[in-house]
Amino acid sequence: MKSKINIYFIEFAINAILRQKYKSLFIAVVFVLLTFLLTSVFFITNSIKYELNSTLDSLPEILIQKTKAQRHDDINVAEVDKILAIEGVSDANARVWGYYYFENIGVYFSIVGVERFENQYKNSLSKIVDTYELDDAKNPSMVIGSGVQKSMQKSYYKEYFNFIKSDGTLKKVSIAGVFDADTNLESNDMIVMSKETAREIFHMPESSATDIVVKVANPNEVATVLAKLKLLYPESRIITKNDLKVSYQNIFNYKSGLFLALFVISLFTFFIIIYDKVSGLSSEEKREVGILKALGWRVDDILVEKFYESFLISFFSYSIGVGLAMAFVYIFQAPLLRDIFIGYSELKPSFELPFVLDVQTLFLVFFLSVPIYIAATLIPSWRIATLDADEVMR
Amino acid sequence: MIELKNITKLYALSKVDEVRALDDVSLTVKEGEVVVLKGASGSGKSTILSLIAALSKPTSGEVVVDGKKVSKLSDNFASIFRRDSIGFIFQKYNLIPSLSVRENILLPLVPLNPHAKDAQKKLSEVMEIFHITHKADTLVKNLSGGEQQRVAIARANVNNPKIILADEPTANLDEKLSLSFIEILRELKSLNKTIIIATHDPLFFNLDFVTREIAMHNGTLQL
Repeated sequence: MKSKINIYFIEFAINAILRQKYKSLFIAVVFVLLTFLLTSVFFITNSIKYELNSTLDSLPEILIQKTKAQRHDDINVAEVDKILAIEGVSDANARVWGYYYFENIGVYFSIVGVERFENQYKNSLSKIVDTYELDDAKNPSMVIGSGVQKSMQKSYYKEYFNFIKSDGTLKKVSIAGVFDADTNLESNDMIVMSKETAREIFHMPESSATDIVVKVANPNEVATVLAKLKLLYPESRIITKNDLKVSYQNIFNYKSGLFLALFVISLFTFFIIIYDKVSGLSSEEKREVGILKALGWRVDDILVEKFYESFLISFFSYSIGVGLAMAFVYIFQAPLLRDIFIGYSELKPSFELPFVLDVQTLFLVFFLSVPIYIAATLIPSWRIATLDADEVMR
Repeated sequence: MIELKNITKLYALSKVDEVRALDDVSLTVKEGEVVVLKGASGSGKSTILSLIAALSKPTSGEVVVDGKKVSKLSDNFASIFRRDSIGFIFQKYNLIPSLSVRENILLPLVPLNPHAKDAQKKLSEVMEIFHITHKADTLVKNLSGGEQQRVAIARANVNNPKIILADEPTANLDEKLSLSFIEILRELKSLNKTIIIATHDPLFFNLDFVTREIAMHNGTLQL
């Protein structure tokens, strides 16, 4: 039985690509670069969005920060009881946390204090408190993120770390374990220790906390609770989870906007090639179409062959581009490009882009490239193929 | 049977200027005939071949081949007609230089998607008849003029067409190769093919197997 797919057309198409090897190579290289760039951007975007959403979802509904002349100031832990008295509030925690600058490596760590018998505002912290004994005043210990561990190991701190307190003295804290949270973004730069130890490092009195997080059981009541809190603390910054989400996403979108400019330039190059193709075939290509028509090829036959030709080169280039982007983003962690997107990277000792395979992204890049190129090849071929063969060969 | 009925063909040189390639030409060629159209360049010989092969359409008049009005065929049907009925040997051979001999000869069969065995059988037959089997895998651009012409003839015959049209077939050949080509035509004639040759090469004049010689001048037949 005769095959429906005409293998001779495919053979002819491969030959045609090889015949114009320099031109085909140029198109393939541009195509691979564009696909690689576009796919890398989408892969990084997807990974960061996944991380951000996971991080943001684990945040409390409301955050209260005391300010003095609009500058962040410590808050009194006694305020927690007042907040718990507000209807709709299911829990409130005074957090002790802050950034610690590790000069040797030039990175910031986020120190978070926990207390064994308190309700934790995050599941990940509850797991740590349940697993590790961090409250031993004689031998304070901490659980660190994998990025922190790498940074410390670079300075040969493998079992403990000496924090420099505000009075210049050292505070030795043992490393009890490595933090294993759901998201890398959240945990990578994090150090979890007892509140007592954290207060000692930050020189913070026992009656003070960095801020207070508030949980609201019913999401519909967040606005009401927020209004009550604003009445109670008119001098404080009260931030909702949604405010944080918008703020995070704005930073992210701004950064990706910078990249958009670079992308538009690449796209422009691509369209120049397409314009060149649409504007006409070379005299050699025209003559070839004329010969094929004279030998009995129909317009459809010529278009099918041209389809195979353009599909082979574009799909091959697309596949290479996507493959390279996967390796670049997920194996090599997108050097150079990643920093454009992660605006607050100076706070992160390192950041692993998680593998998020979004089929929609692959389809989007495919439809933004392959069909456009195929159309750009078919349109001029169709124009020539519909002319009299005699006229084309003349 | 091929019939040209009152054919006029105008080519536009510019928006206001045109050239009359054929002027009210009528001609009938019977099956199995060998006709030589002779005349100077620009006399309209190639235009007649082009119209018979439905490569172009007449400005007025009608071309009928085996009862089929080929001048009225749509573009796609004209292609099918050429594929099934016409073997065209072009003046410059019109081969694709970067394809091999085998690939060039195969070109008319490609749209038919034949079984590999059938395609190979047809290829082997024509390559043997025209003595180019030993060059099957050579790129056409690396062949001599005579070899290229044999490839063009093999390609024109691979579909076993009833009509062979040859446009200045010896224009790029020396006398020895031209005589060799004439012998090939004699063989094709023996296969009862209808052959029309457009040429101004005197080697084609007064050949014993040629049925008719028709002189052309300024787009008209000198009958």
